[in-house]
Amino acid sequence: MEKKNKVLFVIPAYNEEENIAGVLEEIKNDASFADIVVLNDCSTDKTKEVVEKNGVKCITNIFNMRYAWNVQTGIKYAYQNNYDYVIQFDADGQHIAKEAIKLYEKMKENNCDIVIGSRYLKDTGYPCPLFRRIGTRIFEFIIKVFCKRRIADPLSGFQCLNKKVIERYAIMGNYPEFPDANLVIEMLLLGYKIEEVPVKMRLREAGESMHGGIIKPIKYMINMFYTIIFILIQYPRKGK
Amino acid sequence: MKKTYFVIIALVVFVYIIREIRKRRFSIKESFWWVLAALVMIILSIFPYSIDRLADFLKISYPPSLLFVLCIVFLVFINFRSSKKIAEQQEKIIELGQELAILKDKVQSQK
Repeated sequence: MEKKNKVLFVIPAYNEEENIAGVLEEIKNDASFADIVVLNDCSTDKTKEVVEKNGVKCITNIFNMRYAWNVQTGIKYAYQNNYDYVIQFDADGQHIAKEAIKLYEKMKENNCDIVIGSRYLKDTGYPCPLFRRIGTRIFEFIIKVFCKRRIADPLSGFQCLNKKVIERYAIMGNYPEFPDANLVIEMLLLGYKIEEVPVKMRLREAGESMHGGIIKPIKYMINMFYTIIFILIQYPRKGK
Repeated sequence: MKKTYFVIIALVVFVYIIREIRKRRFSIKESFWWVLAALVMIILSIFPYSIDRLADFLKISYPPSLLFVLCIVFLVFINFRSSKKIAEQQEKIIELGQELAILKDKVQSQK
């Protein structure tokens, strides 16, 4: 008999009491083969209670870690509990559980290390603010130049990781504050196999996005370029 | 007379640092550069013309500027060292927090 793969949905959540119940319900219905862990980043609302009421594992941080390191906690949990695959899933209702299965299927089919759920690979009708679209294009271009690959949506947090990547992320000491294009570039340069799958996504239902406002996106872009420069210095370029 | 003031200031700084270390409010390891700086202050306050000689030796026409340069270099060095330590510690704190959260959950689920 084929060994059953252990799959874990890692859901970082910060003040998501309004969205999280629906998200959990959806995963339980559509992806019942997988386990779920919610990483509660010291929410000030009832996120923890809602998650526990739904009978889902909830790990609460002892201080606010913000998105990236909260995700890393989940990946560490997966690593320590010997999971084969991790699916990073947002708590705000943007990601769709049925689409997550597509990532998982692609992962098994192509035997790759990371599968990214992409909004822009095909026209999935996802309405995207102009600023974000431009940002995505710039990073797509950088990846094309330095990694000789097309990754249409390097900023997508909707990803499926295999055991090799789980291990790397779990024990890496300098997990970036924004694990987006920079991490994709790093993994590509290190020779990991990354694939994309076109997925549908919803717009946020309630609550606040972490990239809102004017200052935050600017800080994000500067941080991202700065990190990418160092990654390109650190790791040898492909095709040289 | 001026010299006495400077000697007093340097001694106060030196004694203060030593006192903090003795009361264990400052670690021996971290205090090294500060004690060294205090000692240099004492030496310079007792022999103020040593900075002139050094400037002369280094062919710096205005000796006080040498003093400023040395101070700035020292402060930048100390500051950079602190930044490095903060970054290291931040990484460790995050790691500890993550491990603790997972362990806490494990303990609670075993109850």
